[in-house]
This record gives sequence, structure tokens and C-alpha cells, in this order.
Amino acid sequence: MVGEEVVPMDDKAKRMRDLLSSFYSPDPSISNNTSKHASLDDINSTSFDPDQYMNILAHKSNLEGLLQRHVEMAAEIKNLDTDLQMLVYENYNKFISATDTIKRMKSNISGMETNMEQLLEKIMSVQSRSDSVNTSLFDKREHIEKLHRTCNLLRKVQFIYDLPDRLSKCIKSEAYADAVRFYIGAMPIFKAYGDSSFRDCKQASEEAIAVVVKNLQGKLFSDSESIQVRADAAVLLKQLDFPVNNLKAKLFEKLEQSITDIRLNPEEINNPSGDRSTHEAAIHEFVEAVCAFRVIFPDSEEQLVKVAEDLVTKNFVIAEEYVKTRISPEDLLGVLRVIWNDVLLIDEVLQEAALSNHSLEAAKVVVTSFVRSAFFHLLQDISDSLLQILKKEGAEQCTLDVVLDASTKAVLQGGLNVLLDFRKILDDDSGILVRLRELIIDWVQEGLQEFFRQLEDQFLLFSGRNHSSIQVHGLAEGTQGDKAFAGLVLVLAQLSAFIEQTVIPKVTEEIAASFSGGSVRGYESGPAFVPGEICRKFRSAGEKFLHLYINMRNQRVSLLLKKRFTTPNWVKHKEPREVHMFVDLFLQELEIIVNEVKQILPQGRRKHHRTDSNGSSASSRSNPLREEKLGRSNTQRARSQLLETHLAKLFKQKVEIFTKVEYTQESVVTTIVKLGLKSFQEFVRLQTFNRSGFQQIQLDIQFVRIPLREIVEDEAAIDFLLDEVIVATAERCLDPIPLEPPILDKLIRAKLAKTEEQNTISS
Amino acid sequence: MQAASSGIGYGLKYQARCISDVKADTDHTSFLAGTLSLKEENEVHLIRLSSSGTELFCEGLFSHPNEIWDLVSCPFDQRIFSTVYSNGETYGAAIWQIPELYGELNSPQLERITSLDTDSGKIKCILWWPSGRHDKLISINEENLYLWNLDVSKKTAQVQSQDSAGMLHKLSGGAWDPHDVSSVAATCESYLQFWDVRTMKKTMSIECSHVCSVDYHPQKQHILVTAEHESGIHIWDLRKPKVPIQELPGHTHWTWTVKCNPEYDGMILSAGTDSTVNLWLASTNHDELTTERQVDSSARWVDPLLNTYSDYEDSIYGLTWSSREPWIFASLSYDGRVVVESVKPFISKK
Repeated sequence: MVGEEVVPMDDKAKRMRDLLSSFYSPDPSISNNTSKHASLDDINSTSFDPDQYMNILAHKSNLEGLLQRHVEMAAEIKNLDTDLQMLVYENYNKFISATDTIKRMKSNISGMETNMEQLLEKIMSVQSRSDSVNTSLFDKREHIEKLHRTCNLLRKVQFIYDLPDRLSKCIKSEAYADAVRFYIGAMPIFKAYGDSSFRDCKQASEEAIAVVVKNLQGKLFSDSESIQVRADAAVLLKQLDFPVNNLKAKLFEKLEQSITDIRLNPEEINNPSGDRSTHEAAIHEFVEAVCAFRVIFPDSEEQLVKVAEDLVTKNFVIAEEYVKTRISPEDLLGVLRVIWNDVLLIDEVLQEAALSNHSLEAAKVVVTSFVRSAFFHLLQDISDSLLQILKKEGAEQCTLDVVLDASTKAVLQGGLNVLLDFRKILDDDSGILVRLRELIIDWVQEGLQEFFRQLEDQFLLFSGRNHSSIQVHGLAEGTQGDKAFAGLVLVLAQLSAFIEQTVIPKVTEEIAASFSGGSVRGYESGPAFVPGEICRKFRSAGEKFLHLYINMRNQRVSLLLKKRFTTPNWVKHKEPREVHMFVDLFLQELEIIVNEVKQILPQGRRKHHRTDSNGSSASSRSNPLREEKLGRSNTQRARSQLLETHLAKLFKQKVEIFTKVEYTQESVVTTIVKLGLKSFQEFVRLQTFNRSGFQQIQLDIQFVRIPLREIVEDEAAIDFLLDEVIVATAERCLDPIPLEPPILDKLIRAKLAKTEEQNTISS
Repeated sequence: MQAASSGIGYGLKYQARCISDVKADTDHTSFLAGTLSLKEENEVHLIRLSSSGTELFCEGLFSHPNEIWDLVSCPFDQRIFSTVYSNGETYGAAIWQIPELYGELNSPQLERITSLDTDSGKIKCILWWPSGRHDKLISINEENLYLWNLDVSKKTAQVQSQDSAGMLHKLSGGAWDPHDVSSVAATCESYLQFWDVRTMKKTMSIECSHVCSVDYHPQKQHILVTAEHESGIHIWDLRKPKVPIQELPGHTHWTWTVKCNPEYDGMILSAGTDSTVNLWLASTNHDELTTERQVDSSARWVDPLLNTYSDYEDSIYGLTWSSREPWIFASLSYDGRVVVESVKPFISKK
């Protein structure tokens, strides 16, 4: 391995190196270090043995190899000889040149010593001369120095005496800087001798400097001077130890005054013909003033920041006030833009104030308050349009449908308009609002949620039996109020349904389209506007109102029935001569209800449409069992009667009397009629009738049968209930013999004729 | 609804309005029911719940001369009860005694202890002294309130004192305060009026439209429950008579009667003309502050309606809890069907 590494090295070069090193190195053992372990065939090693080498060589190689080796060796030996020759020659050369150099040195050094001695001599003489000059000039020099000092002093005195003149000259040429410099230069002297020798001088110059101060102040305060001049003046004044802070305070006062001038006037801004330039000019002036201030009083930043913040805060407060007075989004945007521009301008000159952050906070307040007030006004509008119903008579009474129309419009249009307004704000690209985008979205959603919640509260408040809330609005009370109140409740019911079915989906759509992606609040809290919850609320509220309406109307019907049943003595009733008046009242009441309901609720489809034509079918439609039963003589056992009733009920499908109320005219009217008839039955059960009493009820029921069918949707149930009333009467009758059909018919016809007559007269 | 099938039925022959728990019978759960038939022989049924609680049987059947509009069992003697009756034109009231050995007679006659006859008015109801053996009775007719002194052994009754309801008021029913026996509440169209029976003077009135039934809370003083035809059930605290402390929606049609459970607080039964009996759980124990808030926020309010029993064919006028087994109630619909139900599944819920 080692051999392999050594092989690339040229044999000759290696040998040369070894030779050279052995030549120059004093210790041959070190130079031969590498060849110590050389093999026996290494011709260069110190332990070279020629016989052995020959043996090895002869042993190893053939003749040709040996011959070749011989040639190589001969050449090598020749080379070595020349090398040695060269070395010897070179060394010789060097030796000769060294000898030459030594020879020359010897000859050069010989003249040197004499020269040196001469030089020393000359230096000695120079020194002695210089000493003599020094001693001879010493006295004079002292004198000259004294003279020079006096001269300086005199010049200073001259300066002091000249100072007043100089100052006045400076004042004339307005070189105040020089004046101040001179004065300050003279100051120490005045301080030292001002009271004695230079009194006049001092006075004169002080007078002059007072003029300077006055002029400087004038300059500082004059707005016409350039800022640089004013700043210089301030600096000079400061150098004169003048109380600059007072001046600063004064100037600040002035600045603050100017702020009141640039106070925002929103009406003016949004008045298209209004002059905005005054405000702009004012703000520019303010900005300039701030600039000047910064230069003049470099340490005044803090105060300036305060003043600027003050200005912005004031403006935002004004804007906030303005927002409360129902403004359009354009107005708000106008105001905000103006404020923002101001802020940007001020920010440029006063970066330390970080006004944009400050105003961002303030703008948040303004925008939230705008959102809030927008929803508040919307709520107010809706309430107002609703409460039109309760307006006193005298002022034209609004019909329910008009009110409903107005209210739905108020809710839907108003709601969408409000959203549109918010959208305008959102779309505005003025700097401040862009940063608030997400927040605004959140506010709008929150506001919307809150708005619907409040709206529902408001509705519930209106529907409350407690009228105090409505009285606050200064509206009518009493029977008129009561009547109208039922209408209001009905409108509320329909409005709630409308909100649930139409407004909320639309609003949700709008929200999704324009107000999504807010939620700075984080995901866990979800979006602020939860339409599902609102829908649920309004659905239940709507149902509540509908039931309340039915209940209120039904109470009136009940009252009517109660009067009807408690007044006469039914056991001593006289024979029926005509349909009782109460039927008219009952039908009237129903007519009012139908009227109200028609105005508000949508028409539903009829469940059981009548196939047969007019009222003649009435009796045939009624329960045949009952007819038969009533047709029997009174000797019939009442016990079997009851049994028959039960049987009849068994065979008849159980009629669902109390079904769920729907938002249709028919459903509401039918429910009221059903409840009324059920009450009728219950009142009947509390009485005892004689035959005439029974017949009277029979007549009345027969009469209402036809008009009732006209207005209800579930004829079967109504028929059933009407029959039930007659059955109940029969049960509570001592002698249940019905009227003969011809008489019944005659009486009914008479009544119809009478009503018709009345109608024609009244019309 | 799911409990509807659990009801045990019993049929009276005729239409009927009134059923009463026989309080004095401590051995059995019994009820008295009276029929309302204008033209037939009316009957009083003594109905007993079998000890297994699965069957109702007729323990006694007595004929009664007139149709019965009100029937109350005497709280201290199971054989005595009062009725208010009518023959169609006139009204009367009487105290009856069930004859001894009635089991042996075929159709035994009731023994009339005494009649509570007054000169005028349509008598509406009889109130017994709320608990224990006492000789005082109150009868209420449309115009007046009478306090009677009853002597069962001498079979006499005398009016001790009386007071008029006032010109424009017509009384319809009432209840005797179990906590303060000197106080009686009477329903009177749009008012609930209170009398002190010691002085026989009106003490207070609560405005409450169409009130038709009233019941005192058996454990809590000052709390009472009213049923109103149109507007459901109201719970009142007499210390704050201006507004009810709670409102329950009542029934689809009129709410006819309302009864507080004698044992379980806040458990209220109501019966209505929509042929249903509703079981409510009202919280009567919250104090002033919480009540206000809970009335306000009815949205968060859990539904107080525990169950609706709707297995009836007609309006229900008669309703009573059993005082012996307070989880049992009996209801009577107009078609003469007595249904006894247990509310046990709803008690365990508490």
C-alpha cells in the first residue's frame, strides 16, 4: 500500500530533494528518515548494499530487463554527475561575490568618522546662537503681550459702548438674530458691572432689547409671517429667557378657539347647496397651525395631540347626535367622510396622535348608534301604522285592511329599506368604513335580531288587555276602543304570520346576500341573526293573537247569549210569534266579525262545498233521527229519547268540534261560530223550558241555520252543533213538542220579509 | 290520552252534573253521584271503588224526588249528604240521610233530615264546614248567603245569619276556606266575593270575569284557584288580589270546574265543556319576586299541562278528587258516565 503511494512520485525528484535536504540539513539522520525503511533494492537508501542489490536484480529480471536497467542507470549516473557539477559551480560563484562585497564595505567605512565630528560641531554652534537670541528678546515680548491684552479689553469696552447703537441698527435692519447674539455676548459684563460703570449703556441696550422682544413677539403672533420666521422668533425669545410657555399657552388658546370654528355642522354638509368650503378652509387652517406649532414649539406634541383628539371627539359626538335625528345613510356617509378627511389631514401633520385609531373607535360608536336608531325608527313606524286603528273617531277611521296594508308595507319595505341603507354604508369605500366592515355586519345582524325581538314584545304589549301602553299614545278607550282593539289583535295576528312567512325569509335572503361573513364574534356563538328562532317566536305569537281575537269576539257573543238566557222566565214562556231579536244581534255580531276577518285574512278553500242549492234543503240535511224523534208525541218516553240521542251519536261520525284554527277567513269565523253555538248549548242546559220556550229556540235556531251556512267552512260541524242545541233544549224541556214545519216556515219567511223591508228602508 | 284507557267507567242511567267524594268513609274510596233528569225518577248513586282499584260498583241506589243540581257529602258522616234540586220551576235544598240497612231494601227511600228552605231565590249550592264534625252549613242562592245551624239529631236547621250579595250581583257558587273557617268565597258573575261568617259581612272582592268555580288550596293559606268560562284558570294569592299569580289556559270551550288535589301541592284538575279533563301542575310556592318574573317570561315556562283526559262524549260538570286516595279522581260527564282515573304516573314525575 505504501509503495503504491510512493510510486507516483518521480524517483529522480525525490532523490534530488533528499540530496538537497541532506546538503542543507545539519543532521543527516533526519533527512534519511523516510528511506530508513526502504527495501533493499532502494538504491538511494543509506544501507544500500550493491552486491545484494545486484543479486536481487539478477534474480528478478531477465537479460533484457537487466540491459534496460543498465542503460537507465548509466543515464542516471551521468545526470547525477552533471547535477553535482552544477552545485559545485554555483557555490563557488556565491563565494566569490561574498568576497567582493566584503572588500567594498571595508573601503566605504573608512571616511565616515570625520564627517560625523563636523556635524556635531555645527549643531553645537546653532544651539548657542539660539540661546542668545532668546535671552535678548525676552523683555520685549512680555511688553507686547501686555499691550495686546489691553487692546482686547479696550475693544470689548468699545463693543459695550457701541451695543445700543448696534442693537438699534439691527432693529432697523431687522437682524434680530444678531441683536440677540450681541446682547447675550454682553450679558456677562452687564451682569458684573451693569450697576456701576456701564449703567447707561446697560439701560440703553435693555431698552433696545425690549424693542427686540416686542418685535419678536409680534412676529410670533402674526399669522402673516412665514412659519420659519415665527419659529426663529420663538427660538430667539427663548434665548432671551423670555417666558415662552406663556406665549405657548396663549397660542394654544387661539388654536382651541379656532377648533370651535371648524366644528362640524352636519346639516350644512348634507345640504347640497351648502358651502363645504368654509369647513375645508377651516380644517386646512387648523392643519397649518398645527404644522407651525410643531415647528415653533417642538415640545408641544402632547398638547397638540390632545387638541386634535378633542376636535375629532367633538366631531364624532356631533355626528352621534346627528344620527339620532333620523338621517339617511347618505347623510351619515357624508358626515363620516368629512370627519375622516379631517382626520387624515391632521394625521399627516400629527402622526403621534394616532388619530385614525382614535376615530375608528369613535366611528364604531356612531355607526352602532346609527344601526340602532334605524331599527328604532322602523319599530316606531310599524307601531304608528298599527295604532292607526285605534285613532279616535272624528279623525277618519282607518279600515283594518288599510292598516294591515300599511303595516305589512312598513314591515317589509321598511325592513328591506333599512337593510339597503346599511348596505350603502357597507359598500362605501371611504377608509374608515372599510375597516369596520365586519363589525358593521355583526351589528346589523345583532340589530336585526334585537329588532324582531322588540317587535314581538311590542305586539304583545299592544295585545295586552292592559291598555295603559296604548293610552300613552293618546288614543281612544271605551267601547269604541274595545271594538277597534279586537281589530288590532286580528291585524297583529295576520301581521305576525306575514312576518314569519314573508318578511323573515326575504330578510334572511338579503342578509345572506349582503351581510354574511361578519362574525368577529367567533364561530361558537354563531351568527347573530337567527331567523329560525324569530320565525318560531312570531308563529307562536301569531297563533296567540288569533286565539286572543277569537276569544275576544267570542266573549261578546257569550255576553249576548247570557243576556238572552237569563232575562226571560223560560218555564213560563209565551208562544213564539216571531224570530227573537237576539238572533239579529247575533248575526250582526257575526257580520262584524266576517267583515273584519275578510279585510285581514286570506280566503281559504271550503272543506265541504254545498252540492245542493239554496236553503230549502235545510231540514232535509239535519239529523233525520232527531226529526223523527221530535215528531213523536210528547207521550214518548224521555228515557228512550236519551237513548236515541246516544244511538244517533254512535252512528254519526264524531264531529270534531274544536279543530286547529288556521289563518283563513273561514277557519276563524267557523271557530267563532262553533264556540258560540257550543256556548248556546251550554246555556240551554242550564235552563228548564216549557213547550213554547222550546219552540222559540227551535225557531231561532232554524232561522240562523241558513245565514250561518253561508259564512262557515265546516257545515257538517255547524249542523251538528245546531242540532245539538235543539236536542239539549228538548232534553231540558218539560213538554218538547216542536213547531209544525208550516208554521216554522211561515214565521221564518215573515222574519226574512221584515229584514228585507228594513234593509230597503235603510238603504 | 295514553292514560285514557286506564279510566274505570260507570254509567248512571240519566244525565248528571254532580259527583262528590265521600270524605267520611275512611274504609273505602266512595263517591256519590246524583242524576239530572227533568222527567224521570232521579237517583243518587253510591259508587265504590273495589279494593283492587280496578272496578267501580254500585254500593247503593236511592231515588231522589227531583233532579239534582248540586250534591255534597257530609264531611263527618258518610251517610249524610246535601242536595240542591229543582223540579223545573222551583229550587230547593235538603240534607239527606242514607237509611240503615239499605242493602236489604230494593229501592230504599232516602231519609230527609231537613230542608234548607228560604223565602226567595234560586239556590245554587250548599257548603259544609270544611273539616270535622260541626253544625254549621252555608247555603248560597242567587241573591243571598245563609249561615245555618244544623242539628242532625233533632232534624232541624235554622238560619243563623244572612247577607245579601247586593242588587246587581247573582251568586253562583262558593268555597269555604279550610285554613280560616270564618272566611267564605263566593263566585258572583264578574267578582269573587269574600264573607266573614262571624259578622256576615263582605270583606273583600276580587275582579275576575265570568268566574264559575273556586277552590282553596288545601295546604297553603291565601292561595285559591278559580275557573272562568272564557279565560281559563287563574291562581290567586289573597294577599295580592289585584292580579293572579298564575294563569293557565284552561279549556277550548268553557272551563267549568277546578279542583285542587288535597295532598299534592300544585296539582290541579279542571273539567270543561270541551269534553276533556285537564291535569295541571302549577307552582304555587314561588314567592313574590319569582312569580312576577315567571309570569313575564312565560316563554321559558314549562308547559304546566300534565295531561288531557279526553275519553268523554259530552261536557263534564262533575269532578272530585278522592280524599282517601288522593291520586284518584272521579269525573262525571253530562251523559251520565262516571270515570275514575289515577294520576299516579304524573306524581312520580315530580
